[in-house]
Amino acid sequence: MNILKKIFNWWKPDSKNQAISIYSYDLDGDGVPELITGWSNGKVDARNDRSGEVIFKDNFSSTVAGIVEGDYRMDGKNQLICCSVDGEVRGYQSSTPETRYSMLDVNIEQETIRELSQRRHTLLMELRNYEENQRMGNSGELLYGKPSMAGDQVGVIPANTQLQTGLAINMGTEEKNKPPHVEIALATTNDTVIRSVVIFAEGIFEGESHVFHPRENNLTSSVRVPIYPPKDVPVDLHIKTMVGYKGSLHYHVFELTRQLPRFSMYALCTVPITQPNGHVKFQLQERVARLVMWVNASFLLLEDIVATEDGRLEVSFLSLRTTMPLVIYATSQCEVTIRTDDMDLAGDLMQALANYLNLEDLQVEADFPNEVDQLSGVLERVEEYHSTRQRLSAEMADHSGVIRTLVVRAEDARLMSDMASMKQWYGELYALNKDLISGYKIRCNNHQELLSCLKQVNQTIQKAGRLRYGKSKTAVVAACRQAIKNNNVNALTKIIRLGHT
Amino acid sequence: MELTLFTYNYIQDCISASLMLTIFVDCSQEHQLQIVIGDHDGMVQLFSMKRGEVQIGFRAQANKPITRLELGGALGTVKDKIFVSSGNEVRGYTKKGKQFLGFDTNLTEEIKSMHISGSDLLVCGDYVYNHYHDCQDTNYFLSPDKINDVITLPAEKVKSLVPVLACEDRLLRVMRDSEVLYSVELPSPPSALQLFYNDGGENGDQILYGTTDGKIGLVQLGRGSAIHRWVSDGTSSPGGNRKGGVTCMDHHDMTGDGVRDLLVGRDDGTVEVYSYEDGDEAEPTLRFSTACNESITSIQGGIVGNAGYDEIIGSTYTGWVFGLTTEPMDRHMTSESGVVHISQESRQKIQKLRGEIDSLQQQVLKERDRYQAATQSQFPGISAVPFFSVNDKMTLNRSDASYLLSLEVQTAVDNVLLQSDVPIDLLDVEKNSAVVSYSTCDPESGNFLLATYRCQANTTRLEVRIRTIEGQYGTLQAYITPRLQPKCCQVRQYRIKPLSLHSRIHTFDPNRPYNVLTLKGQFTLPEIHSWVVFCLPELPERTPAGEQAEFTFVSTFLDTQLQCQYEAGEAVFRSDNISTISILKDVLTKEATRKKVRLDISCEVSEESVVHALHLLHPRLEAQLMLAKQVSLIDALREVAAHESDTSFLSPEYQNILDKADNLQTQYRKQPCHLERLYGMITDLYIDKYKFKGINVKSRVPQLLEILDNYGTLELQHLINFFQAP
Repeated sequence: MNILKKIFNWWKPDSKNQAISIYSYDLDGDGVPELITGWSNGKVDARNDRSGEVIFKDNFSSTVAGIVEGDYRMDGKNQLICCSVDGEVRGYQSSTPETRYSMLDVNIEQETIRELSQRRHTLLMELRNYEENQRMGNSGELLYGKPSMAGDQVGVIPANTQLQTGLAINMGTEEKNKPPHVEIALATTNDTVIRSVVIFAEGIFEGESHVFHPRENNLTSSVRVPIYPPKDVPVDLHIKTMVGYKGSLHYHVFELTRQLPRFSMYALCTVPITQPNGHVKFQLQERVARLVMWVNASFLLLEDIVATEDGRLEVSFLSLRTTMPLVIYATSQCEVTIRTDDMDLAGDLMQALANYLNLEDLQVEADFPNEVDQLSGVLERVEEYHSTRQRLSAEMADHSGVIRTLVVRAEDARLMSDMASMKQWYGELYALNKDLISGYKIRCNNHQELLSCLKQVNQTIQKAGRLRYGKSKTAVVAACRQAIKNNNVNALTKIIRLGHT
Repeated sequence: MELTLFTYNYIQDCISASLMLTIFVDCSQEHQLQIVIGDHDGMVQLFSMKRGEVQIGFRAQANKPITRLELGGALGTVKDKIFVSSGNEVRGYTKKGKQFLGFDTNLTEEIKSMHISGSDLLVCGDYVYNHYHDCQDTNYFLSPDKINDVITLPAEKVKSLVPVLACEDRLLRVMRDSEVLYSVELPSPPSALQLFYNDGGENGDQILYGTTDGKIGLVQLGRGSAIHRWVSDGTSSPGGNRKGGVTCMDHHDMTGDGVRDLLVGRDDGTVEVYSYEDGDEAEPTLRFSTACNESITSIQGGIVGNAGYDEIIGSTYTGWVFGLTTEPMDRHMTSESGVVHISQESRQKIQKLRGEIDSLQQQVLKERDRYQAATQSQFPGISAVPFFSVNDKMTLNRSDASYLLSLEVQTAVDNVLLQSDVPIDLLDVEKNSAVVSYSTCDPESGNFLLATYRCQANTTRLEVRIRTIEGQYGTLQAYITPRLQPKCCQVRQYRIKPLSLHSRIHTFDPNRPYNVLTLKGQFTLPEIHSWVVFCLPELPERTPAGEQAEFTFVSTFLDTQLQCQYEAGEAVFRSDNISTISILKDVLTKEATRKKVRLDISCEVSEESVVHALHLLHPRLEAQLMLAKQVSLIDALREVAAHESDTSFLSPEYQNILDKADNLQTQYRKQPCHLERLYGMITDLYIDKYKFKGINVKSRVPQLLEILDNYGTLELQHLINFFQAP
């Protein structure tokens, strides 16, 4: 696992292209298979599975479609075969130990020297930065407080400049058309201003980064960057802040990493709210305090919440995306109830909680009336589509019989040079063909609808599974599938509710 | 003949060596050469290679960065004296390291280029050219645009001194004394000069030039005029990628056929070897090409590392001196035991480096702690981080009317943030490995483009292709953050001019129908010049000498021309494209209002010019539509070809498409949105034409677009009729 992770880290930042196909194959004949990767830009490379070092690469003119191995030339030796979406196929033979070293870059020693020199170079440059800093600090001729321009050749800010950060929820304002969001507040401790903020994070922006770059004349020493995470995932925010003076050509970059809690898009609710219908109920073999800790770690709260004096926990949130309420309630015996109408959210919460508490297995009692209603509706539709399909198939079989007779008749007429009848038979055949085509289109649509319904059913089963953890989770999914197979809707709803039949 | 060369790294000795030059002094006994390098810190050093070890000859220190290194000596003898320029000083050293010359040129500008011929010394700043004979100031010339390089024809062959200046305004200026004898117009701004075959050819009158957009050409300089011999275009294959700008050239026989080959170094890190197959008659053929990902600052051929093996020596922007040798590298290795043997000397070298790195690491850690401690202390000290040098360039590519922005830093780049306050498009550059990510722009914050480029480890160079829209102007800013502690970033600003797609030419065609814009008012020549510079690229910042200024431009997209003639109090602009005039009028009025200068504007619109512009557009539009049509047919035709054994039944047109399929597809892919850009131009033309009449025709634009969409079936006349409707 460790090795895998290491490589993952290695080639994750590798390029702007996506890996399309991966394969394990011993290309250099050293007895250890390499990781062969086909990329969307047509590159194929073989990497050492430990170091991630590229030992071989090739380029196709279009995206790689697949990588396989096989004895394609029938000479008793396997080849690595790569195929591109344009239909180009290339085979690669493993090298034998004798030829292996010619494949290795002959410049290996030069590469090493180069790499080492580069490191030395970087270190020397850093050292020079410190020396210059020291020298200028001692000379006392430079003063901060003014922008560093082209002629200065040096960027100066007070040494004790610090950057303060904070994460908070902003409920947004109606008139400025700003929906509620999470806000990153950044501020410097003196008169330096923040020129720009770049946040690198995965999965919450359109790309991998978000840039905050105000107008030159609106620069201040504290900024608030709004972010709108679309999903409930814990994210590391790598924040790079450029600090300096107005009009500078040179800024100091403050880098820091903050973790965005998983459920940051839920604001603590202080006013009484209507209780949602759906809920999950379960018993935890834990102290309430641990649950409180989890809530504090997973939600974005101004101050930590505490359990009530008699050891109960009751806390409610509002989703910033949908403004739907979420209530978490726990008795002093740690009987927990999570109330929400969103089954997805409940699943996310259960998975996160079970993970946090290191549970092995968790069975719950769930009730989501809306979801269950929807599910039975969908199942009814599935039934309908099934019957339509059968009817259509029967029609098609009928038609094919007619076609056969029509073709025979038409050909007979042709052989007997009875062109008028031939024309008539072929005309009928044509009309029938058109019928068949339209029938086919209907069947296609029907099939599509059926598929989307089945997908929905599957999603609901998955959601039901996600409410449980460990063994119970797999058991619920399996039981649901079984119920579907037996066409037992009542059993299905019961499983979703109780986790077993 | 195939040429295979192996990379060999010599040293990376200088911390801030952003500009280094290598030259060889003949070390007569061993026929091995010595290398002289000068760096950004002002250090000059001479070294040679003995058994893989660097042997330092001498070191000397100047106060300012070394800008040029040249060899000189009495005419007809071996050039063994080293001349170095730094700041506005020229120094001379013997190869033993003795300084025999220290000469302050008293130039107001820093020396940017220098050439030595016998006892004649030619130095150039940005705009000044100065000629010294025996250190006596003899000739002086103030160039209208920046001087990029200077050279003289070989004094041994040409009896008089003929200096040639390579200027940014696409001219080679051939000098006589303090006057320009004549000038030679080039297709692009020249960046480097070299004598053909290192000796100027048979008569010593041939000069090679390299341009900022990658072209190389040969000109023969006659008594009163020049003849263009050949120009190689800057693309690797027809329709292929554009090559980097030429930074340096040399000649050396690498192929061993007795004829010297042309060595070329480019700013995108490419080193190339060309061989002359037809002498000076035709373009040389590419023999070898390698990429080292850092821009090449100088290149020389010779024997350095090992006797008997020819080598190309080059230096890069980050301070590397490398060799490309014909000596096979695997000679050092034995693979009998299955283990790669690293030669003894290399092992020692590596060990030494490792040791050095370890001790440096310790030192850096200590300093880092000290720096950190300073940030916590109560005393208000300062944190001063010196600028890192950035080698940046933004050039307009005439062939596809887009800009290429290249950024290079001496150490690995962490990320680059591009911000623009005008709408521009970023195009993908294939060789970039950086991950680009676009950020949403809030119009309130005045941003139209926010993009980050996260670079891979060891990337020191980044190239970005940019498409601008004429009439939209503003600033593009690049925030470059290298992977260097303490983390800092530097801002580079690039103006996107209103007429960004125009480039300078020197011939004006008076026979076209022109629209004329005349401005009169209380302005001085420097004032009007600064406004024109604000509008148009490729103009010198400083006001041209004399009473009157005249510049001619061509639109890279449409080939329409623009002539600017101005003096104090009056400016006249002529263009056969009414949109150009319209943009100029808007921008100049705005500028003048900002400066509170009253302007008297008059406009003469030529109806004919619109038809003329449409005639210019017509072939492009047709070619684009044709291309689009052909490309859409390729898949179907290929399918037919795959199923039929013989495709001769296809019409010649289709066969032609099949044959050129790959070429067509690359062409099509290379210029996405070309058709949209043309449509935009035509729409602008239409709107501008009526704007001058005071009619707003925005409501009729959909009709125009409809005509354009059906252009394939309609005639040009149809479009013209639509334009001429009242």
